[in-house]
Amino acid sequence: MLKLYGKIDFKNIAFKGWKLFYVTFNPNIPDILKSQFAFIVDNHNYKKGFGSYLSFEKVKKDIPNLFTLKNEFQYLSEGDVIRLDDNGGYACIFRLSSRYNTLLLTEQCNHYCLMCSQPPKKQDDSWLLDQSMKIIEMIPKNTESMGFSGGEPTLYGEGFVNLLRRTKLTLPNTGLDVLTNGRAFAQESFTKSIADVAHPNCTFGIPLYSHDPVRHNYVVQAENAFDETIKGILNLKAYNQRVEIRVVIHKQTIDHLIETCRYITKNLIFVDHVALMGLEITGFTRANLDKLWVDPYEYKNILSEAVRILNHYNISTSVYNHQLCTVNNDVLPNYQKSISDWKNEFVGECDGCQKKSECGGFFSSSIKYRYSDNIKAFA
Amino acid sequence: MEINLTFDLNVYSLLVLKKSAYRYINKFSINFNVKNQNVICALSFSNKYTADQCNYFADQFKKEVLDQDLRETIKNETEPVRNLILAHAFSKTGLVDSE
Amino acid sequence: MSKFQEIEFYKKPETKYELLPFRFINLSEDQLLLTNLVGEYYLTDREVLDDLVRHRLDRENSAYSSLRSRHFLYDEQTSIAKDLLKIKYRTRFNKLDEFTSLHMFVVSLRCEHSCPYCQVSRQSDDKIKYDMSKEIASKSVDLALRSPSKNIKIEFQGGESLLNFDLIKYIVEEAKLRNTDKNLGFVIATNLAVVTQEILDYCLIHDIHISTSLDGPRDLHNKNRPRPGRNSYEKTVEGIKLARETLGFDKVNAIMTTTESSLAIPEKIIDEYLLHNFSGIFLRPLSPYGFAIKTKKFNEYNAARWFEFYKLGLEYIIKLNKEGVIFREFYTSTILKKIFTFSDTGYVDLMSPAGIGIAAVVYNYDGSVFASDEGRMLAEMGEDKFKLGNVLSDTYKDIFLSDALLDPLEESFASSVPMCSECAFESYCGSDPVYHYATTKDFVGRKPESDFCYRNMNVFKYIFNRMNSDMYVEKLFMSWSK
Repeated sequence: MLKLYGKIDFKNIAFKGWKLFYVTFNPNIPDILKSQFAFIVDNHNYKKGFGSYLSFEKVKKDIPNLFTLKNEFQYLSEGDVIRLDDNGGYACIFRLSSRYNTLLLTEQCNHYCLMCSQPPKKQDDSWLLDQSMKIIEMIPKNTESMGFSGGEPTLYGEGFVNLLRRTKLTLPNTGLDVLTNGRAFAQESFTKSIADVAHPNCTFGIPLYSHDPVRHNYVVQAENAFDETIKGILNLKAYNQRVEIRVVIHKQTIDHLIETCRYITKNLIFVDHVALMGLEITGFTRANLDKLWVDPYEYKNILSEAVRILNHYNISTSVYNHQLCTVNNDVLPNYQKSISDWKNEFVGECDGCQKKSECGGFFSSSIKYRYSDNIKAFA
Repeated sequence: MEINLTFDLNVYSLLVLKKSAYRYINKFSINFNVKNQNVICALSFSNKYTADQCNYFADQFKKEVLDQDLRETIKNETEPVRNLILAHAFSKTGLVDSE
Repeated sequence: MSKFQEIEFYKKPETKYELLPFRFINLSEDQLLLTNLVGEYYLTDREVLDDLVRHRLDRENSAYSSLRSRHFLYDEQTSIAKDLLKIKYRTRFNKLDEFTSLHMFVVSLRCEHSCPYCQVSRQSDDKIKYDMSKEIASKSVDLALRSPSKNIKIEFQGGESLLNFDLIKYIVEEAKLRNTDKNLGFVIATNLAVVTQEILDYCLIHDIHISTSLDGPRDLHNKNRPRPGRNSYEKTVEGIKLARETLGFDKVNAIMTTTESSLAIPEKIIDEYLLHNFSGIFLRPLSPYGFAIKTKKFNEYNAARWFEFYKLGLEYIIKLNKEGVIFREFYTSTILKKIFTFSDTGYVDLMSPAGIGIAAVVYNYDGSVFASDEGRMLAEMGEDKFKLGNVLSDTYKDIFLSDALLDPLEESFASSVPMCSECAFESYCGSDPVYHYATTKDFVGRKPESDFCYRNMNVFKYIFNRMNSDMYVEKLFMSWSK
């Protein structure tokens, strides 16, 4: 798994606050543009004039705005975007080679999901919204797709609408996935202002964990969540926005998974996609593991039936984050390999497996903390 | 053949009895007579039915009365919400507003 | 770190739950079917129903959360049920906007067959008397294109429609010429006895489909459908082969007519369809119109016997599927579509509001317009109750807003008539004012005495019981509902 954040001790930083830079190995960037770039420097190639410098080794010269990065950051490539803070923090914000760049808009959230992979924080982090506005300008125009997530992005209200508008104008050809609990869209006026932006290719990914309002509210740890989420979905569709429903499968959602999918086919049949997702063992999941963990191999028949029902009603459905040996064959047409474009990781039980190249593998967090007891290599 | 059944009007409404009788219109004809708080239902069967068959239909009729009574309850209770849903279904706007 | 709440925290203080509109019916001694306003269903027993209605149903009962999410009840935990119901209810009637999509043109009454069950044909060579004229055809095309429907299907009927093939060509070409914004589809209903390669070549160019009659194995078919030469079966089979070779396999369709003689041999009829590689069969009930009533064919035949025929046929088809043969029964799949998708299937006989005029209309050879094919047949028997007007003298408005159409539509609307209004199957069923008028002189009829009701009720019950007791059948039926 890639490390995205770090901090340096020794600082020789001339700028205030935080700044975004393009990563470059090219010493011959035109002088007028150098200030926008963070140049990967070593003991031989220093050229002055760059906005900042990154190195993976101790560099002798007294270079301004130099960040010495840990070796794990060697993945940085030409054109990636890095944020450097005046307190020594650095973070890779955007990777050119990745198909799954997601911008974190906020860590604040009005939910507190039992399995949240980005545990909410209460402090004001609206600077993240400002950062995103700037990042949008730096992302290549031919980027195929990107995402917005949080926390709950819509908490910014009008601010979020503005970001959406700016994104449409700056990156008109980039597909956008917005992860949201959808509750803000229960307000018709908010939905309308989003619809008025008329982004050509934006999908709202909204979690729904049960047909049973009590259970859904329990999983997301928020009262009234179910009603507002459903209303939000209805409003979004009434305004012709694309909606994907996401269901994370774990012990609290598996019992009624089939009934939940049936509920979707009866009440939300017009959604554009349904994603059935395996559990990632990060964030709150670890704290609640006893409530959440169920071996996917044990629910594979339920998963098959759920997929069958959704397929039958022609609802586009995908299964994510499962290993091939934990699902039935009938799910394969809907099976998606990639968890992310980070290296698909495998465990010892996978040695010699003939289907490794078709399998999504594991989250590194799963390998570390918990994965199926029934992993078996295909002969 | 004729079979008489008595129902207490405090328990079953006349409407319920009529609706139940309607369902058996192809099996028997019926006459209603109200005396005090009771309804006497005179079921008249054609000759083609045996005594056993007549008794069976009379039994079925009694069961139907129970069902109709249940239906009346459901209908009365859900009438307002049914009207609400239908009215909204056919109103001009199809949008859901948050209260 | 904040504490996580237990699930009990998210249960709002319980008050009594409220009922949403629903109906129920006995499927068997101890099994009940509940259906709601939008056709969602739930199978349960008497005890649960009693508890539910008496507001005694326990929240921990496994039925409770299903009944809530399927919208049979609502409680303080969620208030979204009514919004969802109104959206779904509105969707049920969405197709009404489209209005008439099936337009049948009776291009000639002439026919060389003399099928006893036929409603309308004339064994005659008198073209002047029994063929549709160009003028009438032209006016009818205009009326058809007036329909707001985006998709128009024009079906050529008769008699034997191919006996007036020149007019078919005229209608096809005029329709295409005058059409501005619709998708046009064409079907010729024919016995194929007089089909030629030239005719088929024309059909290929203009993408016209063929629908023919195949009643069953040779003996049955020829008995049902006499013609000079007694070779209707041979002609039909040959015609099917020729049509498929020219037009393509999926452009040729066959339907059967059920007669007294059919009732004993459903498997053999199905085998005949298998033999000729059809993907399914429509086990049709016999209609009580035309020659059928005149020759007393209708009296010999009743709904109970047909139902036995249907069951045998359906079970045979289920068995075939179990053995890997993909074959469908289309009456069942029409009903299954209604059960599983709550969508309009366009099957005229099973629609409420009735499909007459709304889904289909007939332009007769003499210019008279009928609300349905059965309405035309009834007129042949002297009862023109369902005649809406004449293309030569009446406008689109005259015809489609005539009392002859509106009265039966209004009076027979299933949600408003006795027994249907409280029937659990109402969402899946239809009203058939033409049938009921033909048999009782009343658009509504008395449902306990109605063969239409008897037939459909038994089919619905059978379908639900079968699915409930056999997972394979449930999966099979679900696949048929696509």
